[in-house]
Amino acid sequence: MILLDQNIRAIVQGITGRIGSVQTKWMLEYGTALVAGVTPGKGGQEVHGLPVYDTVREAAERHGANASAVFVPAPFALAAVEEALAAGLRLVVVITEHVPVHDSLRMKRRAQECGAVLLGPNCPGLLTPGVGKLGIMPGSLFRPGPVGVVGRSATLTYEVAGNLSEAGFGQSTAVGVGGDVVTGSRFVDVLRLFEADPATEAVAMVGEIGGTAEEEAAAFAKTMRKPVVALIAGRNAPAEKRLGHAGAIIRGGLGTPQSKVRALEEAGVPVADSPADVVRLLRPRMNRPVP
Amino acid sequence: MMLLEHMGKAEIAARGVPVPRGHVCATPEEAAAAAAELGGPAVAKAQVPAGGRGKAGGVIPVDGPDAAAEAAGQLLGRPLVGHVVRSVLVEERLQIARELFLGLAVDPASAGYLALLSTEGGIDVEDVAAQAPGRVRRLWIDPLAGLTAEHAAALFGDLGDELALTPPSAPLRRRAGEGPGVRASLSDILAKLYETFVACDALIAEVNPLAMLSDGRIVAADCRMEVDDDSLFRQQAYGAYREAQMDEREREANQIGVSYVGLGGDVGLIASGAGLGMASLDMLGLADLSPANFLDTGGGITRELMRRAVQLTLYPEGVRGELINLYGGINPMVEAALGVVDALREMPVRKPVVVKLLGNRQEEAWGILEAEGVPVVKRVRTEDAARKLAEILTGVVG
Repeated sequence: MILLDQNIRAIVQGITGRIGSVQTKWMLEYGTALVAGVTPGKGGQEVHGLPVYDTVREAAERHGANASAVFVPAPFALAAVEEALAAGLRLVVVITEHVPVHDSLRMKRRAQECGAVLLGPNCPGLLTPGVGKLGIMPGSLFRPGPVGVVGRSATLTYEVAGNLSEAGFGQSTAVGVGGDVVTGSRFVDVLRLFEADPATEAVAMVGEIGGTAEEEAAAFAKTMRKPVVALIAGRNAPAEKRLGHAGAIIRGGLGTPQSKVRALEEAGVPVADSPADVVRLLRPRMNRPVP
Repeated sequence: MMLLEHMGKAEIAARGVPVPRGHVCATPEEAAAAAAELGGPAVAKAQVPAGGRGKAGGVIPVDGPDAAAEAAGQLLGRPLVGHVVRSVLVEERLQIARELFLGLAVDPASAGYLALLSTEGGIDVEDVAAQAPGRVRRLWIDPLAGLTAEHAAALFGDLGDELALTPPSAPLRRRAGEGPGVRASLSDILAKLYETFVACDALIAEVNPLAMLSDGRIVAADCRMEVDDDSLFRQQAYGAYREAQMDEREREANQIGVSYVGLGGDVGLIASGAGLGMASLDMLGLADLSPANFLDTGGGITRELMRRAVQLTLYPEGVRGELINLYGGINPMVEAALGVVDALREMPVRKPVVVKLLGNRQEEAWGILEAEGVPVVKRVRTEDAARKLAEILTGVVG
């Protein structure tokens, strides 16, 4: 497993909001080690049994927190991440959608300076089956096992993980890096962690059109010991149209499905035709027979 | 959103970048008045939020008010590079000695900004960048540290001399002074362009050409700027502009709170996520179905959002049926199911819909849909849902 293990003690920023509160309940039900929540001005309240503080520093000092899931509205996301990093948290997961790109760049550079891991914005977070989840991934689709999963799009990552689970391939950890143009972590950052993780035997990477993250990942996959298989969504999508994700736009010939598939196949990463097809490609590449 | 040339120019001019004198005109009469005010030779430029305008005939040199009115008459209301021309910028015509390209862009891969400079600006700068990448200088800027004097020095350090030595710029050397003067002007323009780029939440801010005039001045002859849609809460001046750029269905989608793109086929699509939506387009294609649209609900599904999303995508004439593909991670599945049923009940004649839905309270959501006679796919297989819809539409299964 990567990033989210037994040592995590997490807080929820924006815990008193509608979504923050519901997701806190589901994270707790999944067994996640949540220790507190933060909403400025709401200190002293309690949400699903967790104490709420005005500041991250207070929550972190009293409960030894080292990670955060951020559910605050987009205009306040940058400040929330800066506060979490300043309080010394090592893992910050930003679920919030529609964060301005300039803010995302700043939070990413701050995280780099602090040596912390930032996931998102606009990401589903991460889930280590049987250990916990930070974010919004539906726990019922995941099973413990040896496959690392990393994706840009949240719900497509669920679909791939669900297909893996159905076929008996459990997951070591599933990570959503987020669908925006700028994300705190990119595929290559997560591949590096999976490569070093003893519990991960192979990686399923859920990519899509737009940007160059898949091409970068292909270059890194060449150097990896562990097998990687990929899915590229949007092969049927029109160029120059923005399909929901700001990142998912083919522009000026960059980010086409063809360039991604070519780069991946040249790197020895087979590319699936559908989420279910990921399973077919993975099966012969696993060391152990799967039930 | 891509700004119009005159909007970008107004932003950089407000921060001190020299731009040509000019007026935005919505009628031939206004264009005539603008040309009269400007006096000398002018140019009429169609205002459209896309590149390739010049080559498509959207820039017309004009001499005098009558010619300006005629040019505006030709351009206004005409479709150009995918957009209808709604305004024309009438500007003083420049005596350009040399064209540069200066740009700033967000660079996702490096977690920073890139400053871009080419001494071969003009309409073919993309070709220069593609064929001779070495002739476009690129410099990384840390968003936390911002632009510094070192950046300008690295970008323009040897540039004055280079320009002075190149034949087309021989007059520049005499009239505009030696390299240091050019360098100082360029550094000043870069600083002001950077200030604009950050202040406007721009993803791209490009000046092409950055024109070196025969009288020695350096002027932004064009400006291309894209502002981050997600910054509208603090770039409020552009909210109305963005709405005006949308067609009727996109505007409605924006009001509903979903992301919509028309695709021209005859099968509707609703997906709770962009990647899942794109995979759904792929799976519809594999099932020989032609998508009428892309629609991503994002993470804000409510019963009302879902009802209106179905209305938007399934009701239009020419749409034969619809695939609805949902995961309940952050989205409430029971609310979603109720919204689908609301929309179907309001239809005088129902069209076939297949829903694939998994996640929170999925059994309850399945029950709501099945009680309404809606086929539900309960496995993590978008391809099954697409195939089922294809079967229903071709009459293989009723």
